[in-house]
Amino acid sequence: MTKRKMFLRMITASLLRRRSRMLIALLSIAIGATILSGLVTIYYDVPRQMGAQFRSYGANMILLAKEGQTLTVDTMQKALDVFPEEQLVGATPYRYVRLDMTSRQQSFTTAGTDFDEVQKTSPYFSVEGEYPREDKEILVGKEIADTIGAKAGSYIQLTWRPSVTVNENASDDWIGGAKLSGSAEGFNAGIVVVEAELDDEGRIARLTIDASSQTPEIGGQVGTDKNFQSRFIGKKLPVTLGEDVDAVSGATISSQAVVDALNNAHSITKGTAAAERSGYFSVTGILVTGGEEESYIYMKLRDLEDLTQDKNLDVAELSISANAEQLEKYVSEIDKADTGVMARLVKRVTRSETAVLGKLQALVFLVTVVVLLLTTICVSTTMMAVVSERRREIGLRKALGAPDSSIRAEFLGEGMFLGGLGGVLGALLGFVFAQVVSVNVFGSSITFQPLLLPVTLLMSMLIAAVSCLLPIKRAVAIDPALVLKGE
Amino acid sequence: MSLLELKNISKIYGELKALDNVSIHVDKGEWVAIMGPSGSGKSTMMNIIGCMDKPSSGEVLLDGVDISKESSKALTDIRRDKIGLVFQQFHMVNYLTAVENVMVSQYYHSMPDEEEALEALGRVGLRERARHLPSQLSGGEQQRVCVARALINHPELILADEPTGNLDEANENIVLDLFRQLHDEGTTLIVVTHDPEVAEAAQRTIVLEHGRVAREIINENFGK
Repeated sequence: MTKRKMFLRMITASLLRRRSRMLIALLSIAIGATILSGLVTIYYDVPRQMGAQFRSYGANMILLAKEGQTLTVDTMQKALDVFPEEQLVGATPYRYVRLDMTSRQQSFTTAGTDFDEVQKTSPYFSVEGEYPREDKEILVGKEIADTIGAKAGSYIQLTWRPSVTVNENASDDWIGGAKLSGSAEGFNAGIVVVEAELDDEGRIARLTIDASSQTPEIGGQVGTDKNFQSRFIGKKLPVTLGEDVDAVSGATISSQAVVDALNNAHSITKGTAAAERSGYFSVTGILVTGGEEESYIYMKLRDLEDLTQDKNLDVAELSISANAEQLEKYVSEIDKADTGVMARLVKRVTRSETAVLGKLQALVFLVTVVVLLLTTICVSTTMMAVVSERRREIGLRKALGAPDSSIRAEFLGEGMFLGGLGGVLGALLGFVFAQVVSVNVFGSSITFQPLLLPVTLLMSMLIAAVSCLLPIKRAVAIDPALVLKGE
Repeated sequence: MSLLELKNISKIYGELKALDNVSIHVDKGEWVAIMGPSGSGKSTMMNIIGCMDKPSSGEVLLDGVDISKESSKALTDIRRDKIGLVFQQFHMVNYLTAVENVMVSQYYHSMPDEEEALEALGRVGLRERARHLPSQLSGGEQQRVCVARALINHPELILADEPTGNLDEANENIVLDLFRQLHDEGTTLIVVTHDPEVAEAAQRTIVLEHGRVAREIINENFGK
């Protein structure tokens, strides 16, 4: 028999024939390992789990047309190619146009969209009634519904008119000091209003732009960017975007709206309004969101295209199940691709997702460390008790000529064996634990990480080894002479 | 030729002189008993002979080598290689079987050899009980296992501390018979005891009193 075999025989005999004490140590290691592997599983699964949760809070990326390009359903689809199918939760096209409600002389912003996708990217939308299924069916925002008294089953006639707003005060003879004002539809059907004053030569001398209807930080810049406004000074009307003045970067639509508004005001006498088109729509539901969506009407994109004869989109909202880093990567991929489409992150959503995830992971990490510490203390205490219980035996072994290294090896061996056994038990139980937590808290199951088995095993053995350090020090200090005293 | 020689050794614990300038020698193959009442310095001497303690002064020659200044690590090696120990309380590893207990001694000494361990148990008449745990053995049987364990590595010296102190007469005789056999084979035996009958089984008895050698008695009847 080799020494190693005898070594194994001794430590297994010690563990198997002295069960009760060792079971406690084994149990504490197994429980520690269970929580460790369970929490590590959750730690790595939380981003995925929470990612799915966060997706219910709405889109985290939008697609826009690049400068001088157009966004259509086709270019949107092309841009979506960068996403793996499983990460793309939904992609909803939006086209915003103001339509007149014929019976009430009122106009409302109407969004053309895809209702199947809306339910994916805006799962928080609550509809009293049903989502439209057939053509010529619409959802009406609660605010509008309250104003006009619409409910599911109502019919509404909506009319599209060209977006030029006529300046009734304008005259043909532009003289020095003449004032003109005009408006035009910008991004998301928001109206941009301009007021200009001309000098004696008919050049723009002063200009104010009200772009408060535009997205702050993007299109809204046309109203706040003094540099942009100064580009118009000294220019004669009509002006052309890209030739006479450059657009605010990233805000082409709003910039164009400023130019259109100026030109509208100038060319009022030659204004040729496009023919208006209208249709009857059936209300299938009232949209309740608690947000600005309640002041919109939603219809199928195709219905809106029929009215406007225009296939352009304003924006596409995407819901992507990915972390901030991946999202950034997708944005740059889309921006690089030659589709005429650019992507922007909805920073508010991605940032809070990242922050919440970070906090959650820090919490799990902290709990893991505490559990590891507790396990170490528990195992260490048990091993300490084992050492005092076996003082006589340790003394005997030393009297028989066991060097300190052997005593160390035997206790460490027992500890590591316990650690290994507890680790395997813990890794398996930990998966069950993580699964239970996942199903109960996140409502979805997790996949077993094969790497977790060796990691948990190593961690448990390490904890067991660390726990044995102090007890071993005690064991080594035992005086062999105690066996002679006939106690 | 002497195997063990204590030259003027003293062991002082604070004010107390446990051993006071003691000199003894034990020849190779000799069977010596050490007697004395409690507090006479028996245990201290036993610890020093057993390489588990060092004298405060004096020399301890084992096989002609002075070991009185050795480190405790070196003493562990010497104890393992040269000395077989038998204790009053038997001291077996309680979760190992009889044969495994014998093998523990082999394990620390050189190589565990189950056959040899079984043979040693055969010598003390316990081959049939080799697979029993200590709790399944009687006191006499346990002490016989300990004798087997003490002799398994063929030590030059067997040091027994009250080996029959916890045994009935029948078992005492079995153990003494084993010692006689070992003596006949040339093993040096030192038996610490306060039992005159056990002491009489030896060739010579050294009597300690108050940390000094009070007298030595040669057993005239030895071997008769």
